[in-house]
Amino acid sequence: MVTQAVSVGERSRRHLLDVAGLDWRSLQKLLASAGEMQQLLDSPAGGSDALRGVGVTTLFYEPSTRTRISFEAAAAALGARVTTFSVATSSVGKGESLIDTVRTLGALRSQVIVLRHERAGAPWLAARHFGGSIVNAGDGWHAHPTQALLDLSVLSRHLGDQNGSLAGRRIAIVGDLLHSRVVRSNLHTLTTAGATVVLTGPASLTTGFAELAASFRNTPGSVRLVGSIDEALSDADAVMALRIQRERLTAGELNSLEAYRAAWGLTESRLAALAPRALVLHPGPMNEGVEIDPDVADGPRSLVLEQVRAGIPMRMAVLQQVVAEARA
Amino acid sequence: MTDLLTANFADHWVLDPVAGLAGVADVSLVAGQIVSVTWRDGEAAARACWAAGANPGPGDPTVALLPALIDLHAHFRQPGANASEEVESGTRAAAHGGYGTVALMPNTEPAADNVETLQAAIAGERHSVRLLPIAAATVGRAGTQVSDVAALVKAGAVAISDDGSPIADRAIFRAALLAAAAAGIPLIEHCEDPTLTAGGEAADGLVASRLGLRPWPAAGELRAVESAIAVLRDVVVTAPTARLHLTHLSTAAALAVVRGAQGEGLPLTCDVTPHHIALTDGWIAGDSRWAWEVPVDDEFLVPTTAAFDSNLRVCPPLRTMIDAFACREALRNGTALAIGTDHAPHSREKKEVEFGLAANGIAGIETCLSVALSAHRAGELSLATIVAALTTGPARLLAITTTSVTPGAVASFVQVDLAASWRPSRATLLGRSINTPLLGRQLRGVVQLTVLEGRLAYQRPRAAFCATMVP
Repeated sequence: MVTQAVSVGERSRRHLLDVAGLDWRSLQKLLASAGEMQQLLDSPAGGSDALRGVGVTTLFYEPSTRTRISFEAAAAALGARVTTFSVATSSVGKGESLIDTVRTLGALRSQVIVLRHERAGAPWLAARHFGGSIVNAGDGWHAHPTQALLDLSVLSRHLGDQNGSLAGRRIAIVGDLLHSRVVRSNLHTLTTAGATVVLTGPASLTTGFAELAASFRNTPGSVRLVGSIDEALSDADAVMALRIQRERLTAGELNSLEAYRAAWGLTESRLAALAPRALVLHPGPMNEGVEIDPDVADGPRSLVLEQVRAGIPMRMAVLQQVVAEARA
Repeated sequence: MTDLLTANFADHWVLDPVAGLAGVADVSLVAGQIVSVTWRDGEAAARACWAAGANPGPGDPTVALLPALIDLHAHFRQPGANASEEVESGTRAAAHGGYGTVALMPNTEPAADNVETLQAAIAGERHSVRLLPIAAATVGRAGTQVSDVAALVKAGAVAISDDGSPIADRAIFRAALLAAAAAGIPLIEHCEDPTLTAGGEAADGLVASRLGLRPWPAAGELRAVESAIAVLRDVVVTAPTARLHLTHLSTAAALAVVRGAQGEGLPLTCDVTPHHIALTDGWIAGDSRWAWEVPVDDEFLVPTTAAFDSNLRVCPPLRTMIDAFACREALRNGTALAIGTDHAPHSREKKEVEFGLAANGIAGIETCLSVALSAHRAGELSLATIVAALTTGPARLLAITTTSVTPGAVASFVQVDLAASWRPSRATLLGRSINTPLLGRQLRGVVQLTVLEGRLAYQRPRAAFCATMVP
């Protein structure tokens, strides 16, 4: 017996809490919308006033450069009123709770809060106490929906069929899976797009992922956890290296960065031998010389800067969608 | 205080776990005392009915009388956190839950490691509920020096425990077990190996992996249980009166080890909580099926907007349907002698925060009976098993007498409408804190009234009084 739960995507479109539950049609719609946003950015006007008067606040409890700036650029390109909430200088330091903070922002006429938080599930708590829209910009180890969406847009452009589907494509994801919200969200979008995802990383940083991989068995794609980088890279169409999250590592999880590079690093020689056609992605920020070598990161197969560029139109698409749903 | 009750309870489904009787009976009270219990089909039939599980059949009355329940594990937060709960509110909640006796854990502020605090923890209006204090096993619950157990027992302590944390130092644990043995009381241990569970937010497994919650491994409980049993095995050689009780066990693996040790004849008992028998970690993803409704080969469900409810943050954490099954099986086969509520009220400030930052605990003393009756209704637990686990089982651990529904006893019983249902909410719950994941859920089994020491301790608002008052 399988009881069909109503997904977040279906039940509450005024938020974007997660990509889990978004079906292929919803993903295609976002990809198409992001494409239109890119044309808007490339047009002489460079944007629109679709969100004029809409208050968008970025509320980041964790440090971030590209995600926050990307969201702020996206909101500005749609004509929104953009506010940056600096956790370091706010009342949060005086013990103001997340609920108090989002309620205060609501009273200050924020309609959209873009929330980054170090704890899994924080956007769900915020959504239950906020009348507007919550967009999850990363919650702990759990989810990073807009990163997965922009990764999908890049992969779909390079490897997708005429519908953007990744059916038959093999995507390897290498590294610290345990602490990675990027991989958790990418598993949903990539398998929904039909891809075969092969995961690998040191055993201490892939805890729980065998069972997690198996739980994607009823998706258009599939997920496998393998024990070696050679097996993961073999015949891969694209490889995503994950950042070693030094701030999240605990004792015993990793001995030395040098040893990590030797065993798990994306080096040109490794790629040339095992996956000569493979494109390379990295969600950033990169530890060059650890999980990825500089000549790979800056080399011809690298899509890293394209990923960063893809962030703005995808986040425009997301902001426009949640505001439209909130108005509906 | 209400008057001593004089009333007739005709045609009720009556359970007497002490004598082992169940069936349709008329119960008469005069001035708070049970003067007669008349079994419709005679005592022999009532004995056979109890042995068969005490479940009412079609056509039998759906209003039951059970002995007032006994909780071997609750927190009333007094002294130290009276804003979350205190004796007055906690006993009001207990009476609503059908409880007549509650043993209180010592993790108050300060800890009940001294006679003064032990007595302060049970002081106040108690709505006729009997309170039994459990003393801290070690000074300040710090795990470094055993408390003055003899003095604490003299002052009324019925057990010692450092609940909330384990006694991590095994030499201190051994010393505490010996001290409890000398004083003739059990040591109640919270089994957790903190070196494995530090920072854990949810049970290790698919739900934690999917939701990115820090894992609390099953080995964290198993290792502590194995090590406690190893010490007990040594101690009983020199101290045959030693008794060890492991509280709120939650994993199939740990319960299997306990069953094995009981088979050796060790003086070892354990309890399980209502949430571990009925809920799973899937609730954290917003999947609120009862544990027995989840199939073994279940698909992971996409988190709903109800996900990450911090009322589900509890220690030990909620686990899979297999572990919940093992907890119910432990009640059926006697490995666990009790359902202990681990009633752990917390203020909104401590609970309405990010899941991983929320205080551990569920307020459960008002919903425990209904949760157990939901398991009964699903055919998971017999009424006899439930009633024993809520009365005679905990009484055995605490070395107290269960006041049963029996002629000559001062009336202490609960009247439950097994067919009716209710929804926990701020309006229906009487405790000071309502941190329960069951808010808004329809629960079977409504406590109509609780009679303690011959007087009404709780009566359901606006309910028709289901007994004939004798003037």
